[in-house]
Amino acid sequence: MATDAPYLAARGVSKSFFGNPVLRDVSIELYPGRIHALLGENGAGKSTLINLLSGAMPADRGTIEIDGNPVPRMSPAAAQAAGIAVVQQELSVTGSLSIAENIGLGSYPRRFGIIDYTELSARAGAAASLVGLHEPLSMPVGNLPLGRRQMVEIAKALYRKPRVLILDEPTSSLSASEARILTELLQKLKGEGVAILFISHRLPEVMALCQHVTILKDGVRTADRSIAGIDADGLVRLMVGRDPGDLFPHWTTARSRAKAIVIKGFSSGLIREADLEIKTGEVLGIGGLAGQGQEDLLLGLYGATPAETSAAEVNGNAGLPRSVSQANAMGIAYVPADRKREGLHISHPIITNLLLPGFARAAALRLRNRIKEGEIAKGLAAHFAIKGDLDRPAQALSGGNQQKVALAKWMPHQPQVLLLNDPTRGVDVETKREIYIMLRQFASDGKAVVLLSSDTPELVHLCDRVVVIREGRIVSELQRADLSEQAIVAAAVGAEPTVTAA
Amino acid sequence: MSGATTPAEQAAPPLYWQVQRRRNGDLFGLFAVVVVFLAAYGFLFPGFFTLPGFAKFTQSWFPLALVAMAQAILMLTGGISLAIGAMVSLGAVIAATTMAGPLGVGGGTAVVALAGLGIGAATGLIVVKLRLPAIVVTLAGSFIVGGAALLILPRPGGAVPMWLSDMLAGNTPVAFLILVVIVVLWKIYLATPLGLAIYAAGENPVGAYRSGIRVDRVLVSAYAISGLLSACAGLFVAAQTGSGDPVIGTAFTLNSIAAAVLGGIGFLGGQGSMRGALAGSLLLSLMISVMFFLGFTPVAQYVAQGLIIIGAVAIPQFRRKR
Repeated sequence: MATDAPYLAARGVSKSFFGNPVLRDVSIELYPGRIHALLGENGAGKSTLINLLSGAMPADRGTIEIDGNPVPRMSPAAAQAAGIAVVQQELSVTGSLSIAENIGLGSYPRRFGIIDYTELSARAGAAASLVGLHEPLSMPVGNLPLGRRQMVEIAKALYRKPRVLILDEPTSSLSASEARILTELLQKLKGEGVAILFISHRLPEVMALCQHVTILKDGVRTADRSIAGIDADGLVRLMVGRDPGDLFPHWTTARSRAKAIVIKGFSSGLIREADLEIKTGEVLGIGGLAGQGQEDLLLGLYGATPAETSAAEVNGNAGLPRSVSQANAMGIAYVPADRKREGLHISHPIITNLLLPGFARAAALRLRNRIKEGEIAKGLAAHFAIKGDLDRPAQALSGGNQQKVALAKWMPHQPQVLLLNDPTRGVDVETKREIYIMLRQFASDGKAVVLLSSDTPELVHLCDRVVVIREGRIVSELQRADLSEQAIVAAAVGAEPTVTAA
Repeated sequence: MSGATTPAEQAAPPLYWQVQRRRNGDLFGLFAVVVVFLAAYGFLFPGFFTLPGFAKFTQSWFPLALVAMAQAILMLTGGISLAIGAMVSLGAVIAATTMAGPLGVGGGTAVVALAGLGIGAATGLIVVKLRLPAIVVTLAGSFIVGGAALLILPRPGGAVPMWLSDMLAGNTPVAFLILVVIVVLWKIYLATPLGLAIYAAGENPVGAYRSGIRVDRVLVSAYAISGLLSACAGLFVAAQTGSGDPVIGTAFTLNSIAAAVLGGIGFLGGQGSMRGALAGSLLLSLMISVMFFLGFTPVAQYVAQGLIIIGAVAIPQFRRKR
């Protein structure tokens, strides 16, 4: 076998989900004794690329090569046989099994067909002590806190004595000391000639650890280069680099001095001690990496999850809503990100969906006025350009039109505050533009719009102000003049604004 | 197969037994309740402490123990079976129609076992390959299997050789010994990679698949074993009554779920253990007997049984919240 061939490589792989391309013609090569970073924003296609490399999913096009030889049918079992181990972002541990049983899962040592617990104890113990996991091996993993489970996951990968080790955001749930153990371990493995692929959002960590970097942007590889000679700013630029085009409407502020929502010391879910003022007539963006607590902020404001504050005011009323119906009565509406499950009842007619908030408020035991309902629904459909027969089920609409229905259904109730959770995710460009124009229109009508978005350009071009959330805290508040993709991503990943070149 | 790698420094108790001890840890409460009911039973029915008394008691428990295991395996995989009762009926009628004929007891037992394994595996394949919910597949299966039992034996009849009835349901605790053997076989199965993977496949199927486990194979094996246990319970019931009854198993479907739930098996897969399910079935069996001795009317028995099950499931929930 040629020693200069990469241990594992992807050549021109593409993958789509439901017609949405997630990866387009991406190549990556993992060489022994090198720590290779894979960077990109949320949804850039990193996890999909890992799934292809590890055989968890087949590629639509392109090939996976092991030691320079194309593998026609990659599967997790084939990857395991080739010495490829993956530390997944979504943990693959089983809570009811012990630490040792989890570490060995899928490749137990056997004697007469029965798991050899003595051997397992020795080998799993060795893997566990490599990552500083000193809990008894018989302890069920379900009893461990999240960070320790992540260490079990890493030990599980090491147990297989991998030639290729892929780590998908391994440090996101680790404490500082656990992260340091991992860093030292990776250096050691690199010295032993393991090929390592390291995915992380923490740029300082990447700069310190990795020698080579591949950057994905919207499923396309935008960089594949040595990390020497590039700084954190340069990496951020490569991650966001793209011209926004004329997708966004012309921005003029409609912000007034009146406050729609004021919260002090707000805690809900992951969010801790947040202070925030939302003015009427502004679009307030909420940014950050996925799962840092952004959604908890919206749900807490909406009364959908319990929240605590030291002081709060909503549209002139003191205190936060305690329930969704109270929030609606106070003039708050919420449009969820998952429109198929939370935003709409997709197997029911469009008209029912449009009228649903109205049904919730209608006086009980009064006959419905079908004619008036029809008029309201038609008016909404015309205003939001929802085309076609309103008696069709909502699932017949495209994703973009579904989103418009999810938005439109609140309009008859004149909400003063709109909480939008990633409203353009999975929406086609044309509808995106329509939604953007609507959002600006809401703001100039004097509503307050809170826009949680995983799409950074959207935050830059639509918002009057953006707050960035990291680990449950508001870490940055950027005014219109300071808004840029670089600034938002830098705040989200915790990169210092200026970093001296390495 | 396994090359020795690192010099293993043996800790005092080997890992296997440490793991077993932890599995008992959650069940002390249940075991304590079982002991209390056993004591109550012994007090109300002193004959319990004689060999025939013990034999009779274990015989009344035996079929419930088997179906509780059959149900627990499937619930551990994240599934459930509504066809257990029908499988018991089918096992009973096959036993009652074959054993008196040319096949004899050995042949009849083999037919029962093969029917159980085959129907179980077929159910598992449908669930796994067509990705249908287990509850729907086994509901349909309960009609098909129950119908098949009625086709084989439209009304109670057939016969099981006297000596078999005497052996399994007589004054000696043979049934209890068979149960011990079945439990040992289960422990061995759970110590194989295929068996232990039931937990991983039930709790986190995606993670199990990514760990290189053949989840489909694990599930189909579990369904086959479940079918085997249910059919064998049917054979035993036929031996107990001396003949076959095509609807005798009906009550076992819901009782198997009740026993598994009492024993701490969760509905989401991968939660609970077989020893819990066995203890649950023993408790259910004891409850029925104790209430009978205390003179509860059958109707009151059912109500009390339901309340106790809800209580037993709710208590750990409260404890977890705190």
